[in-house]
Amino acid sequence: MTPMWYIVLSAILFSVGAVGVLIRRNAIVLFMCIELMLNAANLALVTFSRINGTLDGQIMAFFVMVVAAAEVVIGLAIIMLIFRTRRSASVDDANLLKY
Amino acid sequence: MLSNLWLLFAIPAASATILLLSGKRALKWGPWLGVIAPAISFVLGLIMFFQLRDLNPRVTEQNLWSFIPVGDLQVSFGLMFDPLTAVFVLLITGVGSLIHLYAVGYMAHDERRVTFFGYFNLFITAMLLLVLGNNYVMLYLGWEGVGLASYLLISFWYTRPSAATAGKKAFIMNRVGDAGFILAIFLMFAYLNTVNYGQVFERVGSLSANTMLILGLLLLLGACGKSGQFPLQAWLPDAMEGPTPVSALIHAATMVTAGVYVIARSNPVFSANTTLQLIVVSVGTITLLLGCIIGCAKDDIKRVLAWSTVSQIGYMFLGVGLGGGAYALAIIHLLAHGFFKANMFLGAGSVMHGMKDQVDIRRFGALSKYMKITWLTFMMGWLAIIGIPPLSGYFTKEPIIAAAFERGDWTSWLFGWAALLGALLTAFYMTRLFVLTFHGPKRWTEGQHPHESPPVMWIPLVFLAIGSVVAGYLMHTSVVDWLNPVFAGVENVPEYEPVMPHWLISVLGVAFAVLGAGLAWAIFGRGTALEPEPAGVVVTAARNNLYTDAFNEVVFEKPGRWLTRALVYVDNKGVDGVVNGLAALVGGGSGRMRRLQTGFVRSYALSMLLGGVLVLGALLAVRLG
Amino acid sequence: MDKLKLPDMDYVALLPMLALFVAACLGVIIEALVPRRFRNIIQLVLSIVALAVAMFFVVKQSGEVVASKALTAGGAIMIDHAALFLQGALIVLGFVALLLFGERSLEFGGPFVAQAAVTVGSERDREQTGRELGSTETFPLALFSLSGMLLFVSANDLLTMFVALEVFSLPLYLLCALARRKRLLSQESALKYFLLGAYASAFFLFGVAMVYGFAKAVDFKAIHAEALLGEGNSLLLIIGLALLAIGLLFKVAAAPFHVWTPDVYQGAPTPVTAFMASCTKVAAFGGLLRVLYVGFDGLGWQFTPVLGAIAALTVLVGSILAVTQTDLKRLLAYSSVANAGYILIGVIAGQQLGLTSVLFYLVAYGFTVIAAFALISLVRDADGEATHLSRWAGLGARSPLYAGIFTFILLAFAGIPLTSGFIAKLSVFGAAIDGGQTWLVIIGVITSIILAFPYLRVVVMMWLSEPGESTPSVSIPGGLTSTALGIGTLATLVFGVVPGPLLDLAEKASSFVR
Repeated sequence: MTPMWYIVLSAILFSVGAVGVLIRRNAIVLFMCIELMLNAANLALVTFSRINGTLDGQIMAFFVMVVAAAEVVIGLAIIMLIFRTRRSASVDDANLLKY
Repeated sequence: MLSNLWLLFAIPAASATILLLSGKRALKWGPWLGVIAPAISFVLGLIMFFQLRDLNPRVTEQNLWSFIPVGDLQVSFGLMFDPLTAVFVLLITGVGSLIHLYAVGYMAHDERRVTFFGYFNLFITAMLLLVLGNNYVMLYLGWEGVGLASYLLISFWYTRPSAATAGKKAFIMNRVGDAGFILAIFLMFAYLNTVNYGQVFERVGSLSANTMLILGLLLLLGACGKSGQFPLQAWLPDAMEGPTPVSALIHAATMVTAGVYVIARSNPVFSANTTLQLIVVSVGTITLLLGCIIGCAKDDIKRVLAWSTVSQIGYMFLGVGLGGGAYALAIIHLLAHGFFKANMFLGAGSVMHGMKDQVDIRRFGALSKYMKITWLTFMMGWLAIIGIPPLSGYFTKEPIIAAAFERGDWTSWLFGWAALLGALLTAFYMTRLFVLTFHGPKRWTEGQHPHESPPVMWIPLVFLAIGSVVAGYLMHTSVVDWLNPVFAGVENVPEYEPVMPHWLISVLGVAFAVLGAGLAWAIFGRGTALEPEPAGVVVTAARNNLYTDAFNEVVFEKPGRWLTRALVYVDNKGVDGVVNGLAALVGGGSGRMRRLQTGFVRSYALSMLLGGVLVLGALLAVRLG
Repeated sequence: MDKLKLPDMDYVALLPMLALFVAACLGVIIEALVPRRFRNIIQLVLSIVALAVAMFFVVKQSGEVVASKALTAGGAIMIDHAALFLQGALIVLGFVALLLFGERSLEFGGPFVAQAAVTVGSERDREQTGRELGSTETFPLALFSLSGMLLFVSANDLLTMFVALEVFSLPLYLLCALARRKRLLSQESALKYFLLGAYASAFFLFGVAMVYGFAKAVDFKAIHAEALLGEGNSLLLIIGLALLAIGLLFKVAAAPFHVWTPDVYQGAPTPVTAFMASCTKVAAFGGLLRVLYVGFDGLGWQFTPVLGAIAALTVLVGSILAVTQTDLKRLLAYSSVANAGYILIGVIAGQQLGLTSVLFYLVAYGFTVIAAFALISLVRDADGEATHLSRWAGLGARSPLYAGIFTFILLAFAGIPLTSGFIAKLSVFGAAIDGGQTWLVIIGVITSIILAFPYLRVVVMMWLSEPGESTPSVSIPGGLTSTALGIGTLATLVFGVVPGPLLDLAEKASSFVR
C-alpha cells in the first residue's frame, strides 16, 4: 500500500470538512468541521514526512495540534457567548449584520 | 547660511500659523510677533545677500524634498537664490517689515487685527516661496498663495459689500491669468518634460517658434493677471477696498510685481522671440498710458495711487519687454517703485488716519501745516515718481525711456515718445494729488481735526522716504552688472544707436516732468471744486476708467456668459444624461450586489470556497494552457 | 546519535517581538493583581513602553542589516530590510491605534465591555453598561496580536507563518466581541470573523502541507529552489499555492474572500476596527509579499494573471458596493476592500517600484484609516456612536473642525492631491504601468472615480444639509483620541506634501532576502 493513499484520504477528509462547514448549522459542528480540516492537513503532513523521509512534517503536526487547541479555546468562548445571549447555537441566527 | 534658504519663508510661516491659531488670545503680542517675523527674514536675507556676493557663479540651489517623484514627472520642492531672487527677497522682507510696523499703528483698534497679521505673514511666506522656487510649480504654489492672501486681505472688512465685491473681482480676474499660467506649466510638461528653470531654459531652444510664442503668451497672460496689466487691470484699483497697509504691501510694492518677476525670470523664453517681445512692450506701453490718463481723473486718493501703480508697472513691462540690458533696469525701477509707492500709500493712509477715513482729495487741502512728517515724506515719494533728479525715480525711469528709444526701427519713436508722454502725465496727476492734498485752501468736511499719526506709523514713512530718495543710486552701483548675468544672452543683444542722443532724452524727461508738475500746480494750486464738474468727453471717459470695464464686459463677460449657457445646455442634455445613466447603472448594480452579502456565515464560507476553487482552476488553467 | 545542536538565536534581532510578548504576559499578570480602576493607565503605559522599546530595536537594527546574517532562530525568521520596515510600520500604527483603546473620556468606562461573559440584555448587563469600568484585557490581547504580526512579516518558513497567523488572529477574534454597546452586533462579528478566519487558516494549513509534499521543506529558499528546478509534482505545488493564497487573501480582504470585512468592521468596537484596518492590512500584505516574491518568485508568470483578476474584482466589488452603503463603518469597510485591491495592483506590478509603492501605500493608508475611525468614535448620541450616514447630515454646522478633518480624510481616501492618498495611488498606478499592467490601472482609475462618489456624498451631507433634531453632537475628544486623530491627519497631510522621505525609506526596504 503506497503512502499516496493517505494523501487521498486526507484530501477526502479535508473536503468533508470544507463542505461540512457549508451545510451544518450548529456552530459547534461547524467548528468541528474546521478541526477536521486541520487534522486532514496533519495527516497530509505526516504522510509527506514519511514519503520525503524527513521528520519535519511530523514536528509540524505537533505545532498544528497546539495551535488548534488554542483555537478551540477561543472558538468555544465565542460560541458560548453567543449561545448564552441567543439561546441557540445556530450560526444562521446570528444575522444582524448584512448588506 | 545659504544652505538654509528655507528659513526665510519658514519663519513668517510659523508666525502666521501661531497668529491664525491663537486668535483673540494674542491681541497684545500678536501684532508685534507679526512684525518681528519678516524682520528676522530680512536680516537673514541680508546675510545671504552678502554671502551670495562671494559665490561664483552667483547662484545656489537646493532641493528640499521631492514633490511628485513619480516616473518622468519629477517636481521637487526646490529653492534657488540668485541676484534676482535676492533683490526680491530684500524688497519683500525689507519694505514688508516697515509696512508691518506701520500696520501695528494703523490696525491698533481693529478687533480682528491678529487675524490680519496672520494673513499678512501668510502673504510674506507665499511671496517668498514665489521668488525662491527653482521651478515653475514652486512659482505657481507661491503664486496661488499670494492670490489667496490678497483675496483674504482685500475682503478683510468683509462686512462692507464693496470690499466683498472687490475681493471677488480680484479673485476672478486673477483666475483668468492663473489659467494662462497653469496652461503654460502643462505645456512645459508636455513639450519639455520639466518645469525646472534651468532645464526649461536649456531645452526651450528646441521648441518651434509657434510653440514658444504660445508658451510666452500664456506666461504673459498670467503675468498680466497678477500685475494688473491691460486687459486685466480692472481689479487692481478696486482692490483698494482693503486696509491701506494691504494696498501698500500687496497692491503696490510686492505682489503686483510678480508678473514682472515671471517675465524677468523667464527671459530666455521672451528674449528668443521678437514677436513676443513686441507684445510685451505694447502691453506695457498701453497700460502705462491707460493708467496715467485714468489717474488724472480720479478723486479717491488711493485709487489715484492704484492707477499710478498700474502705469508704473507698465513701465516695468516696457523694460522687460525691451530685453537685453533693460531687464536689469526694469528690476531696479521695480525696487525703487517699491519704496516710493509704499511710502505714498502709507502716507495716504496716514492722511486718512488724521481725516477720519476721508479719501476724496477734493476734501483735503492745506494739510502740510498739520501733518508735517507725512507731508515731507510724501513729497519725497512725489518727487521720486515724477522723476526729478536726484531722487530715485529719475535714475530708474529715465533709462527705461532711453532704452525704449533704442529699438533700432520706427517703433523706437512710438514707444519712446509714449513713455515720455507717460512721464508728462505722471507728473501732472501726481502733482494734482499732492497739491490738492497738502496745499491750497482747506476744503474739509465739518468736524475734521487733522493730526499727525503716532510714531509707529511715521517711523516707517521716514525710512521709506529715505529709500525713495536713495534707491536711484543703485543704478550707479554694481547691482546692475550683478543682475545682468541672470539674464542670459544679454551680451548678444545687438546694440542700436538711440534715435536721439542720451542727454536729449534726459533733458526732455526732466523738462516734461517739470512741465506736467507746473501745469498741475497752476491749475490746482488754488484748490478745486468740491464735487466733480461736468466735463468733456476725454475727462468723462477717464473718470469711467476709459470704459475699460465696459470693454471687459462686452469682450469677455458677455461671450463668457453665452459660452457658459451653451456649455450648461450641452452638459444638462448630453453629459449629465451619460453620467446619470452610468451612476444609475453603478447604483443599481451596487443595490443588487449588496443582497449577496446575506449576513449568513455559511454563505460567506461558500463564496470563499467557490473563490478558492476558481483560483485553483485558474492556476491550473494557466499551468496547463 | 549526534549531539543535539541548538539553533542559533540572534536575540537582539528578536527583541522587538520579545518585548511585545513579554509586555503582553505582564499585562495578563496585571489583570490579576492590580485593582480595576488603575488598570487602564498601567496597561496603557506598559503597552506604550513596550512599543517604544520594540521600535528602538527595530530602528537600531535597520542600520545593521547584513544579508548573510539576516536569517535567525534556526532559519525560521528573516530580519531583512523589508521585515524591519513592516515591523516598524506595525509598531507605529499599533501605537496610534492603542491610544484609541485607552480612551476613557468619550463614555464612562471606555469603549470596551466590563464583563464579556454577562448575557446581553440582562439586568446585570444594563447595570454594567453604564456603571462599570471597561475591561483592560484588550491591551495584552492587542500586544499578543501585534507580536504575532511582527512574526508574520518576518517568518521565513510556512510553518512559522501559520503559527504567526494564528497568534495574531486569535486575539483579534476576541477583541471583536468586547464592545461596550451594541453587544449583539459585536458578538456576531466575532463569531463570523472567527469561523471564517479559522476556515481560511485551515485552507492555508492544507496548502502548507501540499507545498511540503512538493518541496520536502517549508522554508522559502527551498521552495523557491524546488519550484525553479521544476522536478517535483507540480500539481501539489499549484494546489498548495492556491490554498495558501486563500488564507492570505482572506486576511488582506481581497474579493471574493472579503465577505467578512463589512460585517466585522461594522460590529467590532471602533478602536479594534481601526487596529484591524491598519495593522492587519500591513501584516497580511507583508506576508503575501514574502510568500509570492521569496517563495514562489519563479512562478510569477503563473500567478500574475490570476492575482490580476482578483485585484480587478476586489476594486470593483469594494467600490461598487460602497456606493449604496448607509453605515459609515460599513462604508469604510468596503473602501478598505477597494484599497486592498489597489495595493494588490502594486503587488502584481512587482519589481522594486511595485514593492516600494505597496509599502508606501500600506503606511499612508494605515494612518488615514486610523484617523477616520478615531473621528467616527467621536460622533455619538445617548446610545453610543451614531454611525448611520443620515445622522451625520449637517455635522459641518455643528462642529466645523471635526467635519473639516473628516472631509480632509475622505479626500485622502478619494486620492485628491496634497494628501497621502494621492501619492499612494499615483505610485501604485505608476508602478503598474511600468510593470505592464495598464489594464489594471484603467480599472483602478475607473473605480477610484466610482469610489469618490460615496465619499463626496458624505462630504455633501455634512456640509450642505441643515443640522436636524437627530444630528448627534460631537464629543470633545480626550487627549488620547485627539493625539491619535492628530497623528493620523498630520501623517496624511505630510505624506501628501512631503512624500520623499517615506518613499526613500520604502525604496530602501523593498528588497527581500531569500
